[in-house]
Amino acid sequence: MRHRLAAQSRACRTRPRVLAAGLAAAGLAAASTLTGCATASDPVPGCGAPLRLAIIAQSVPGASYVPCIRQLPQGWTTSSFDPARGATSFTLNSDRAPGEPVTVRLAAGCRPGRATPSPPRAPGVATYTWLASISPRVTGRLYDVFPGGCVTYRFDFPLGPHIGLMEEFGSAIGLYSRQQLRRTLKQELGVELDP
Amino acid sequence: MNTVPTPGTPGAGRRVAPVIAPPSLGRRRRPSGEPPPLPRRIDYSTRWYLLLLALAAGFWVALSLRPALGLITRADLTVLRAVATVRSVPLTSVMLHVDAVRSGWTVRLIAWGTIATLVAFRRFRHLAVYLAVFLAAALLDSAVSLEIGRMRPAGIPILGPWQGYAQPSRPVAMLALVLAGALYTLVPAGNWRNRGKLAAAVVLGAVCAARLYLAVDHPTDQVTALILGWSLPVVAFCLAVPTDVFPVSYRRGQRAHLDVGGRRGAAIVSALDHQLGLDVLSVQPFGLEASAGSTPLLLRVRGRGDDHEAVLFGKLYALSHLRSDRWYKLARTVIYGRLEDEKPFSTVRRLVEYEDHLLRLMGDAGLPTPRPYGFAEITPEREYVIVMEFFAGAREMRQAQVDDHVIDDALRVVRRMWDAGVAHRDMKPSNVLVKGSRVLLIDVAFAAVRPTPWRQAVDLANMMLTLALGSTPEHVYQRALRIFAAEDVAEAFAASRSITVPNQLRSLIRADGRDLAGAFRRLAPKRRPIPVQLWDVRRAAITAGLAASLLIAMALLVAYARAAGLL
Repeated sequence: MRHRLAAQSRACRTRPRVLAAGLAAAGLAAASTLTGCATASDPVPGCGAPLRLAIIAQSVPGASYVPCIRQLPQGWTTSSFDPARGATSFTLNSDRAPGEPVTVRLAAGCRPGRATPSPPRAPGVATYTWLASISPRVTGRLYDVFPGGCVTYRFDFPLGPHIGLMEEFGSAIGLYSRQQLRRTLKQELGVELDP
Repeated sequence: MNTVPTPGTPGAGRRVAPVIAPPSLGRRRRPSGEPPPLPRRIDYSTRWYLLLLALAAGFWVALSLRPALGLITRADLTVLRAVATVRSVPLTSVMLHVDAVRSGWTVRLIAWGTIATLVAFRRFRHLAVYLAVFLAAALLDSAVSLEIGRMRPAGIPILGPWQGYAQPSRPVAMLALVLAGALYTLVPAGNWRNRGKLAAAVVLGAVCAARLYLAVDHPTDQVTALILGWSLPVVAFCLAVPTDVFPVSYRRGQRAHLDVGGRRGAAIVSALDHQLGLDVLSVQPFGLEASAGSTPLLLRVRGRGDDHEAVLFGKLYALSHLRSDRWYKLARTVIYGRLEDEKPFSTVRRLVEYEDHLLRLMGDAGLPTPRPYGFAEITPEREYVIVMEFFAGAREMRQAQVDDHVIDDALRVVRRMWDAGVAHRDMKPSNVLVKGSRVLLIDVAFAAVRPTPWRQAVDLANMMLTLALGSTPEHVYQRALRIFAAEDVAEAFAASRSITVPNQLRSLIRADGRDLAGAFRRLAPKRRPIPVQLWDVRRAAITAGLAASLLIAMALLVAYARAAGLL
């Protein structure tokens, strides 16, 4: 009886379900790529959105300034915004230096070392520049050092357009004062930024 | 073509008397507006979860309004300040350890463990939903987080590690997501799942409490994260793989098939009663280990007398079977080439209509196939049950004695198929039954009307190979010459080759050890092998496309895992 039942039930064949699952996963993966990777294109807060800047200030509680995007020049984009306890970092990408973004990082401290002083970018800020090489590419670091923190900009530009690129990213990134941010939060939300 | 006339078929035609009772009073037309036997429905708990998701969406909108954000933030901070009053060094140490439970490694471990288990148990429907919901939740969490851009709790020392914006709490959402995903795809519904929910609640509660103590999240960040991480997968699983339709089970032979108990079982009984007039006494799955293209059923129905029972055979077809059929045919095209038209069915209704049609057509042609009793709609365009005669007392060809009567009858069946212009296309011992000295054919779902001459020849070759397993090629050949011309047999074995022989038959021949096909070829007049179109443009294109798709899929899988936070 059992065999007869089994025989009649073999109306159906074994199916390559693995293919179906693989293709389903491929579809999902395609969807994920089309919708954009969740962590790949996080926008960096602008200097005109102080409530969003608060999280950068929280990442380095003592920093008297926080970096923000003043205005992005033509051909520049931001990505990889990563605020976390102890530091915040993000990148600036230029279409004239593809694959070599400017990495911006706010931390409690940094070591300018032998970097040479440059004109300060904000009151109470000491700015330094260190060039690791100038040919065939211009690579180096820029430091904004201020009480309680430091912003490090790591760049790697092709020789030639590097002057314009350095000016552009320097003007794109502003420094927002913590004091001002504290006042704004108190006014807007009625909360204190720092304990 | 060299043929001999068809022998007389005194027994041809409707030889199997109906065994069931006349249509009962249960047969009725479903009025417009009345739900089908198994309607798609959303239960109350799912509705509640949907409501929670809607509330979370409303809350996110409120957070984008400055006054509401201030109000909510102040309320959150009031709670956090109250919690902060119990802070102490030892307690902080404990809370940091508890918070570590939600680490990315924990989430990845549970997520990949769930995926691996689903693959191992071939629960691909659950897997597809799991992958989709995981990606959707991760993307939604990121999108909402970026859109709101909420800071961490202000004015209170934050004691624990954190990353990214606060609303919704991503670690809590991800932990809830993997726990709900594992529970609803791996744990059978009932006591085990309820215990699992309790354990998940304890874990989530502890992590949330720790993060509030450490002032890493606002309370409302956690509430929305829990709604997102728990409600979204639960709603998705309830809608796409409802427990009563796709139960999580670890019993052997069940995983590829639909559950025919519960709501579906009742729907089948009701549908067969209302649509076919069958008074069904019981519905039982059987022979599941041997099938995957449908869910085979044994139906006990009321017979002609009040105390008489009859047994019918049924097949439950659903969308999943239709999709399987499509992939099966695609794989056949790639593996075997385009031996013949292998167009997949477009809908479940088409598939079941075709099998019902074939049963009737072959019955009308006098072929000994199961008598059809029609098919019933369970869920429109999604699930259908086809009902046919059950061959009581019949045995598989390989278990029966293959005497001259059986050989002659089997060859006459092929001859009749040739005359009727149909081909079975899956001639093998398990599809050829013997009852007494009569040969019966089952599994006609993939038969073809007006097949190619090549396919008809292959049917003859496969039937002769099947018979030779229980006899000798010489004897089968001699009996075949009474019904077919020697040239017919020569053509059959010129068309036959390894790939045209069904897997089961091929395995049995290999186990038998004799070169059956070679023996038939030696006996029959010499004929050059008929070329099978192994490689054509279509097959080459499909194969190349499939290979490229798999490569792209691998690359995209990596992208998926990154997007979903699984790497």
